[in-house]
Amino acid sequence: MAETKRNKAIAPAKRRKGGKEKNWKKGPHLPNALKKELDSINPTNDQQIRSDDDIDVYEYEEKIPDEESKKNRRYDPVDNFEYQLPKDFEDEDVPSDDDDEEEEGAQKGDSDEDDDSDDGKHVRMLQDITGLPGDAFEGKKKKKNDVVIFEAYPESEYNPSRDVLDGDGRITVDDLLNPLHGKPGFSKIRKDVQRMDRKSVSIQPPLPKPQQEKVDRRSTFVYSKKKLSEYEALVKKNREAPTIYFDEDIDVGYSTVGAIASEFRPRTEFEKKMDSLINAKELSEAHKGDGARLLELNKISVEDVKERQDRLAKMRNLLFRHELKSKRIKHIKSKTYRRLLKKDKSKAAATEIEMNPEAAKELAEKQEFKRAEERLTLKHKNTSKWAKRIKKRGFDVQDDGTRAAISEQLQQHALLTRKRDSMHDDSSSDDSSEEDDDDISGDEDDASKLKLLEIGKKRTLEVLDEDDEMPKSGVLSLPFMVRGQKKKKEAADEEARLALQEFDSSLKQLEGDDDVKGNVGFLSGRKVFGAQKKQVPKSKAKVNNTDNYFDNTDSEDDADTIEDVDDKHGRMNYTQKDVNIDPNILRDESEIGHDSLFKSFDDISKDSGPKITYEVSLSATNSKKKKRNMKDSNQAKSEKKAKNKKSQVAELASEKDTAIIEHGDDDSDTDGETRMVDGIITSGTDYELPSQDDLIRRAFAGDDVEEDFEMSKQEIMNEENPEPEKPVLVPGWGQWTHIQKKRGLPSWMLAEHERAKKKRDEDLKRRPDAHLKHVIISEKVDKKAEKLQTKTLPYPFKDKEHFERSNRMPLGPEFNPATTIGALNRPEVVKKPGVSIKPIKLKK
Amino acid sequence: MEIQDISDDIDVKVKKYQRGESADLEALKDKKLKGQLANREDLYKKSANAAAKAEKWLMQTEGGRLESEGFEKTWRFSQQSIAQEVDVASRKNQFDIVLPDLGPYTIDYTSSGRYMVTAGCKGHLAIMDLHTMKPIKDFQVRETVRDVVFLHNELFFAAAQKKYTYIYNNAGTELHCLKEHGAVLKLQFLKNHFLLSSINKFGHLHYQDITTGQMVGNYRSGLGRSDVLQVNPYNSVVTSGHSGGTISMWKPTSAASLVKMLCHRGPVTAIAFHPNGHLMATAGMDKKLKIWDLRKYEALQTLPGHAKSLDFSQKGLLAASTGSFIQILANSSDSQNYDRYMIHTMVKGYQIQKSRFRPYEDVLGIGHSMGLSSILVPGSGEPNFDSWVANPFETLKQRREKEVRLLLDKLPPESIILDPTKIGTLRNPNKIQKATKEEKEAEKAAAIAAAKSGPQKKKTKGRSKPSKVAKKKQEGVEKAKRPFAEENKHEVVSKKKQKRITEANELPKALQPFVSRKSS
Repeated sequence: MAETKRNKAIAPAKRRKGGKEKNWKKGPHLPNALKKELDSINPTNDQQIRSDDDIDVYEYEEKIPDEESKKNRRYDPVDNFEYQLPKDFEDEDVPSDDDDEEEEGAQKGDSDEDDDSDDGKHVRMLQDITGLPGDAFEGKKKKKNDVVIFEAYPESEYNPSRDVLDGDGRITVDDLLNPLHGKPGFSKIRKDVQRMDRKSVSIQPPLPKPQQEKVDRRSTFVYSKKKLSEYEALVKKNREAPTIYFDEDIDVGYSTVGAIASEFRPRTEFEKKMDSLINAKELSEAHKGDGARLLELNKISVEDVKERQDRLAKMRNLLFRHELKSKRIKHIKSKTYRRLLKKDKSKAAATEIEMNPEAAKELAEKQEFKRAEERLTLKHKNTSKWAKRIKKRGFDVQDDGTRAAISEQLQQHALLTRKRDSMHDDSSSDDSSEEDDDDISGDEDDASKLKLLEIGKKRTLEVLDEDDEMPKSGVLSLPFMVRGQKKKKEAADEEARLALQEFDSSLKQLEGDDDVKGNVGFLSGRKVFGAQKKQVPKSKAKVNNTDNYFDNTDSEDDADTIEDVDDKHGRMNYTQKDVNIDPNILRDESEIGHDSLFKSFDDISKDSGPKITYEVSLSATNSKKKKRNMKDSNQAKSEKKAKNKKSQVAELASEKDTAIIEHGDDDSDTDGETRMVDGIITSGTDYELPSQDDLIRRAFAGDDVEEDFEMSKQEIMNEENPEPEKPVLVPGWGQWTHIQKKRGLPSWMLAEHERAKKKRDEDLKRRPDAHLKHVIISEKVDKKAEKLQTKTLPYPFKDKEHFERSNRMPLGPEFNPATTIGALNRPEVVKKPGVSIKPIKLKK
Repeated sequence: MEIQDISDDIDVKVKKYQRGESADLEALKDKKLKGQLANREDLYKKSANAAAKAEKWLMQTEGGRLESEGFEKTWRFSQQSIAQEVDVASRKNQFDIVLPDLGPYTIDYTSSGRYMVTAGCKGHLAIMDLHTMKPIKDFQVRETVRDVVFLHNELFFAAAQKKYTYIYNNAGTELHCLKEHGAVLKLQFLKNHFLLSSINKFGHLHYQDITTGQMVGNYRSGLGRSDVLQVNPYNSVVTSGHSGGTISMWKPTSAASLVKMLCHRGPVTAIAFHPNGHLMATAGMDKKLKIWDLRKYEALQTLPGHAKSLDFSQKGLLAASTGSFIQILANSSDSQNYDRYMIHTMVKGYQIQKSRFRPYEDVLGIGHSMGLSSILVPGSGEPNFDSWVANPFETLKQRREKEVRLLLDKLPPESIILDPTKIGTLRNPNKIQKATKEEKEAEKAAAIAAAKSGPQKKKTKGRSKPSKVAKKKQEGVEKAKRPFAEENKHEVVSKKKQKRITEANELPKALQPFVSRKSS
């Protein structure tokens, strides 16, 4: 039944399309003119018909003749001109445009043109009346759709009409409902459907996706904003709090190892086994008992003991053999063997690098990298052109060398791709060889010394022998230069000779015959020293100077000799320390109160300083000699003392006006000393009154004190704020015409000078001691103290005052009461270590 | 009325503990910072209140002074009359020790005031426990001793002897011989920095760190011999007095004196500092005693009289001694001016070497030519001691703990500056000093010389041809020169810029934007 109905619904539509020129309508067939009339009277004819249709009244449905339904094309096509539409034909799908079109299509030709011209006139009229452009009125006009579609094939099931394809031939609810007609519950369903129809509102199509999402987002935002704003108070509170506490009331649990251990439960198989053994009933009971049971449990079977003994014996045997072997190796005296051993040792040293964990790590990494590379590239696995070629030609044809090369390459590959093994080294052999080496080095020490000495000697001899030719031309050939050089050379030779002697003596000493010859050596050495005392340091300096002259000829040797000399001094430095005498101490020994005198003495002592050290340095090889030299130096000192005293007297005579006031202290010092030399202390109540001279000096000491101070202040000011340099012309600049001279200095120079002057004046005015006549406050910047101040303000602060004021309070426990110290120093966040911080929770 | 008084009193104390006002927080734009600072200020206030209350209730002992009635003058009270009034424990502090042989004595107290070390000029050294009045150690070094100071506690002291300075322990064992100081005339110990400073016969100033033995500073004063050296307890700046009437202040990290002042027209004989660090008293040969305000470097007061030794007490009394006469000056509570408070005369002929107030006691110790004396000066010592700072009743354990704490709190020598409140503040930007032209040139020359004489690498064959070596050397020199040249260029550029700016400033405002770069 449904089938037939559907067919009916579709068929007319097809037909209508097929017969384009005809207007198919249901109801009685009327002539076109009449129909037109009817339409104009009642345009909603169609709807009415449909509504009729809705009201379910039984109607007779005429069957379509089989020929016409073209079933299976069993019938020939028949030109059916007088065809009547079935009664229930619905025309709801036909758009109104179509109607127009069809109507107009009927009377095309002139009417179309008429219409157009009519419209043009109308527009023009409107234009005239309103004065508006014609376009404004054209919107009213309906757009004409004069597209006519012609079907190439007659309409059939195989050529469905456009409507069907567009989905216009829809199944309605009624279609579905009809078959249920008469079934129980049908009326109810029908009523429901009707109700729904009546109330139905057109459903909007869903929004486009982006828009939909936008709407969603907006709603989500509103919602989540509302939700989050609940947290606002909490967050604000946390932000403003100076300290935030996290999870204060959490019990962390165990704190001791014992507590953790007591909670131990065996879990793995092994643990369980151990546990069962340890906590075995037997054992625990045995422990509780007197111990006899324990002994019983201790019993070991005979086989076990025997096996153990055997094992131990074997180990011992192995050890013994090993020992023997190493002993034998130790006794080998072959040089080649040792050399080879040494080679091995050097290799072992490479492995020793690996003992150093860092180096080992590096090496391992490198190896791993290489391995990976090899595995990647397979460079050594016959992949090269050469290898391929050889492979192609066949191995048997190749000569031995090539074969070896190939096999070597393969081996390399294997080596590289092999997994890295642990390193093993022969420690025993190393040990023995090391011991040997030690012995040798012990002997060597002396030998090397000897060698060094000999080399030094040779070099000095070379220097002595070297009669360098005098330059014939140039500055050096000038007579005074020649003379100077000669002098220098002499001095250098002297020095060299001295060094030579010393080398000799020390050589002899080393060789063992130190008693007689050594003494002779000393004597000769001392002789030279005595005579040369004053010249020695100078000559040394000269040697250094000559350096420059020899430079062009043969600098290496010279440098070496000097190095030797230097070395010597370096070696003997420690002795210098012992006898290194401060000028201060020397001064004290002489006990002179006057500064002016000290100055002169200072000079002397300065001169004497290096001499003394030199003597001592030369005597470093032998303690006897040292002692003697010490005596010598003492003698020298005493001499100097005497000299000083003389000079002191002289100074006293010459300089009457010593500016420095002598304090009474000093006198008492010397007094005290003289008295205490005896060890008997006499009473010191009697005070010497200051002498008349002293008093007068004191009285007038401050006469020009103020002037002095002002001068010193000026000096310091000049030092700290230096006066600008006076502008000067570059000599020769602009002087060849006299224009510059006439003009004087260029104005920019003067301006610059002026500006610098002004700046200096300003700086001086800005000094803290500018208005204080009697005060000099240094403006020097102390680099070391600079780190105690900040260069820039720390972040949140914007101005200096707030920062500095915020720092004014000390925070230490010494400065604050115990009740507030905690609050003052509390950190920003307080939490228990090891406890994770949970996300914020809303509390209500 | 009483309550009002108490609250006023507390207000004053709170102010003291707040250490100044807070900055104006309302002016801050940063809300977060404002909140934080306000929080801190609250805490500070709380802390200050608590401290003030603690002081009020825990430190009840107040210092007193001699008060006169009617015509009486305070300086008329003799030691005998004072002795009659005071308790037995205080009377114990009046004593004379006659040591006629070993010459004028100099003395020093530990910071707690319990122990005294004395040194006779002729080699007598002794430490005394002043609570038990027993000598702990008494020995002779048989040479001149010019000065003696305690180090951080009573276990160690330094003595400036004829040649060298020595450090002894309280058993009289010589621990160190400080040879580098030379023949020291005066010693001072900077207890917060553990520095021993000295001035020797030649006017050389030395600073030695006694914990490490390192010589921190060694400077020439350049003003001749001086035996006047005093440390300012407020900032640890050491001040020396010189024969030209000048004093100079020193810190261990700079060779130049911080401040030089012309105080007297004759040689300076003594210097003393008030414990708060703002007042300084100097005495000179010109028979004047001056009191200076160190904040302004101006003399507040000039008093007549010689003084060989000056000392401020903890409460701010000033003892000046000369010959056998001691004068004690005090400022009245309402004015800054010092006037005569007490006088004390020794037996005629006694020469007073040094007078020092004993901390936490109303006692003045005197070292003179015939031994030691101790007199009572009411109102001189701080009545309440802080056992964290100095405890006269220290036990062995406390002493040990304190030593460790002191060492942990030891300050580095560079923290000695004139105004210690400047530490931690923003550096003055215009203080940054540029090197002068000469210095720059010297630096350049040094750099070039270093480049020239620098070690040459021995390279493989062909690489160390003389020509190559020379070339390399030349390159090195050029490289060394470069930064200086660049600096110069910068300078030139900045000068040009400045010129343009000044030029622009000379023009009327409307025309300033039209000053072209090229015109200059």
